[in-house]
Amino acid sequence: MAGASRTGGNLVEKETTETDAVAAVAIGLSAVLFALAIAAMFERISLTGTLAGVETVTLLGGLLTALGVAVIAFGVGSRFGSVETDPDPSAGIIAGGGAAVPWVVIGGAVASETLGFGTAVGAVAAVAAGAVAFAATVLPREDVGSTLPLGSLLAVTGLVFFTGVIGPTWVWELGWAQQAAITAEFLIPVATLFTTLYGGWASAKAYGGFGARGRHMGAYVLVYLNAISIVAFLFTLVAYVVVQGVPGLLNGADIGLGTGPETTILGVSVTLPVSVPFVMNGVALFNDFQGVLPAIVGTVWLVIGAVLLAVPLGVGAAVFLTEYADRGRFTQVVEVATNGLWSTPSIVFGLFGFAFLIPRFGNGKSLLSGMITLGFMLLPLVVITSREAMLSVPDEYRDASAALGVSKWQTIRSVVLPAALPGVVTGVILGVGRIAGETAPILLTMAGGTFIPESQTVDVIGSFQFTSAPPFVANPALLEATSALPYQLYALITAGVGLGSSVSDPNAFRWATALILLIVVLSFYAIGIATRYYFRRRLRHN
Amino acid sequence: MAPVTDSESGGIPSAVSTQLRRTREFVDETEPPALAIIAVMTLSLFAALVGFLAVSDLTIVPFVVFLGTAAIGWVRYQEETAYVIALAMTVSTILILGLIIVFIFRESVPVIRYESATVYGVTVPGLRMFIQPNWDAVSPPIRYSMVPMIHGTVMVTLIASTVAAPLGVSAALFLSEIAPATVREVVKPGVEILAGIPSIVYGFIGFTVLGPWASDQFQTTGQGSYLFVGIVVGLMALPTVVSVAEDALSSVPESMKSGSLAMGTTDWQTMTSITLPAAFSGVSAAVLLGVGRAIGETMAATVMLRGVPRLTEPLVNVFYGQETLTSIIARNYGEADGLQMDALFVAGAILFVTVLVISVGAQYIEWRMHKRLGGEI
Repeated sequence: MAGASRTGGNLVEKETTETDAVAAVAIGLSAVLFALAIAAMFERISLTGTLAGVETVTLLGGLLTALGVAVIAFGVGSRFGSVETDPDPSAGIIAGGGAAVPWVVIGGAVASETLGFGTAVGAVAAVAAGAVAFAATVLPREDVGSTLPLGSLLAVTGLVFFTGVIGPTWVWELGWAQQAAITAEFLIPVATLFTTLYGGWASAKAYGGFGARGRHMGAYVLVYLNAISIVAFLFTLVAYVVVQGVPGLLNGADIGLGTGPETTILGVSVTLPVSVPFVMNGVALFNDFQGVLPAIVGTVWLVIGAVLLAVPLGVGAAVFLTEYADRGRFTQVVEVATNGLWSTPSIVFGLFGFAFLIPRFGNGKSLLSGMITLGFMLLPLVVITSREAMLSVPDEYRDASAALGVSKWQTIRSVVLPAALPGVVTGVILGVGRIAGETAPILLTMAGGTFIPESQTVDVIGSFQFTSAPPFVANPALLEATSALPYQLYALITAGVGLGSSVSDPNAFRWATALILLIVVLSFYAIGIATRYYFRRRLRHN
Repeated sequence: MAPVTDSESGGIPSAVSTQLRRTREFVDETEPPALAIIAVMTLSLFAALVGFLAVSDLTIVPFVVFLGTAAIGWVRYQEETAYVIALAMTVSTILILGLIIVFIFRESVPVIRYESATVYGVTVPGLRMFIQPNWDAVSPPIRYSMVPMIHGTVMVTLIASTVAAPLGVSAALFLSEIAPATVREVVKPGVEILAGIPSIVYGFIGFTVLGPWASDQFQTTGQGSYLFVGIVVGLMALPTVVSVAEDALSSVPESMKSGSLAMGTTDWQTMTSITLPAAFSGVSAAVLLGVGRAIGETMAATVMLRGVPRLTEPLVNVFYGQETLTSIIARNYGEADGLQMDALFVAGAILFVTVLVISVGAQYIEWRMHKRLGGEI
């Protein structure tokens, strides 16, 4: 939120006057309240406790009231000419609708619950309150219209908290058949959050001096706040998983010569200098530290199989659609079909794999079924991104190649495909990131038990066999149920308390699995995004 | 997509005759050995498909034949072989969609028969799944009603849309119109990464952090509420809305925007009176696709919901979350067999059809918008 008010400073470049300072203080106050509301919602600050020597709820109420009074004062001051602004005749219908919503809620709740008039009267009161707020916004000049209803909303909410009408122990029993209640713990932060957003919006408008520029300011504050919140949310999410997952991941980890397991690289037996049991062990009775190696290997094979199926099919289809086929009904049908496939829910792919693939591959869940199901999921994405990449290859390239007298296929092979390669590669990598984290399809087609012992880590290459009966080639590893990271996490969640017998600290184990899954998926995304930047930079240099 | 561009030129018969003429030309122009190879490839691939559908052990034989002829063709007649292979791959995309439709519906037939109901003397198959709210797979009368799950999906989708639509459109405006280039380079990959976080991770956080918190805040018995599943699913649908809406906004011609700015409007005025109205259909397609994502979201819902298929009391009680169409499949596929398994396929069919309709609708809207803006389709 600090960012939002800073942005406000950059957007309008004029000298700061005292009235501007008032509006800027109001924006700052909104920022503080916003932060307090978020903190209260996640119980970082206690509602029953005190903050800066004042009871939290009283403080919130006081600040809200102050903000409301400031907003109203600015609007009224502008109306009577003591503040220099540039308001329009009306604040507009959208602002009116925006102001009406909270008043509908307040009017309805007060009439039906606080005063006890019942639902019907409540509905009437809700509409009436909303209509008054709407009229008060739309009818007067913009400076009053966009401050008075919102300012009084802030002031009323603030006074309710300040006077203790809604205190920290307030509870509203909804009286429903399935018991639920709205508590002060929830209502106070949420009400503070939303009214503060309104307050910030109104003060930003005031800061911009109303009119077109004021609306611009108001909207920009909200839009910037939204963008910042999304990025902040992403960071919080990832950071939270990392913080929770690292202890479990590093459980028993060791660095030093000869500590790691022995492995064979290019035919030479090497003892790794690091040991991270969580990613190097399976689950076994006598393990010191349990791990998820089979699930990691399962995920890797799953991705390889899906890519081997989907990339040739998808690129081939894209070549046909862009280079061979004329635009017409056929290409349109294919386009609709690919987009339809792209938005088909993952669980439906799972059901399809269950009904179609499982009876055809040994009548049981198998790695192969999982691969093909995920390949089907990846296919539309490959088609769409490859098509986009090929369409963006300039026609001059094709013409220049055709002018050399080579055939169409040669043009495609040596001109179009290389030029489209960056787009295709990026699209495939991002698509792989998406399917690597999918649980629902493999749930029905591939995944086996919760814990897979290390001995069952799949070895696809090593288990190809030739048989005398059709189909002549067999690969037991492909036809066995195995695990993958997303499924492993799901199984760990649903296993609940029963986990304790195999893992000493189930919760750390779960979080570590989530972290590994996140690392695997996000590294695909990181590679994909980096590839895109690399190719874009190189294109610019040429 | 009914009003296809070339439908005026004579409809299906003329299209077929054009195709026939083309095929004949192709046959005339191509050398006989190449034709033979193409014929063998096509036939063997078709045979392999039939064999696969018939669950035959011998499927591998025509498939190997196909691979062999394709290899020979690749060496001798690369041009024609590449064409045929590309065509086959294109057809396979449609084929997969067709197979999904066939298999999902085929599996759901028995339970649709079982759940027939009689209205005014007419027996309507499957009707009883939608007119009574009781799902009971264990004790008689055994009933597989879809009503509780449809209710759950509708609740979750409504809440998710109220989260995803305004936030997503606002973020798309930010990315496409407002953000300076450097900020966009940070926020855009951020939104992409948000789309990449696996749904089970969202579900896990929802289950361990949000669930207990919500049940404490609302003093409910046990955890799992449509409200928070909806919010989480809305956040998951957000990236879809952002990226599609951003595409739509940036496809509005720059000249329209500069024309407005030259009149002395603020950026925001240009956005609300030029860019957003021009891109309105694209933006609504983005919201629609986001809704489609929310409907199909599985794992977060499965982990966070209670898993008891019944209606909440009262219906608007969002503080209790029972079951959605997606989560009932993920939760019950293991124990289910017979009719219950088929009932899960009915849930899948409902999901599939709904999302397909939404997807086609969104594409139609986008297509119309591109046409109106005078760009290429």
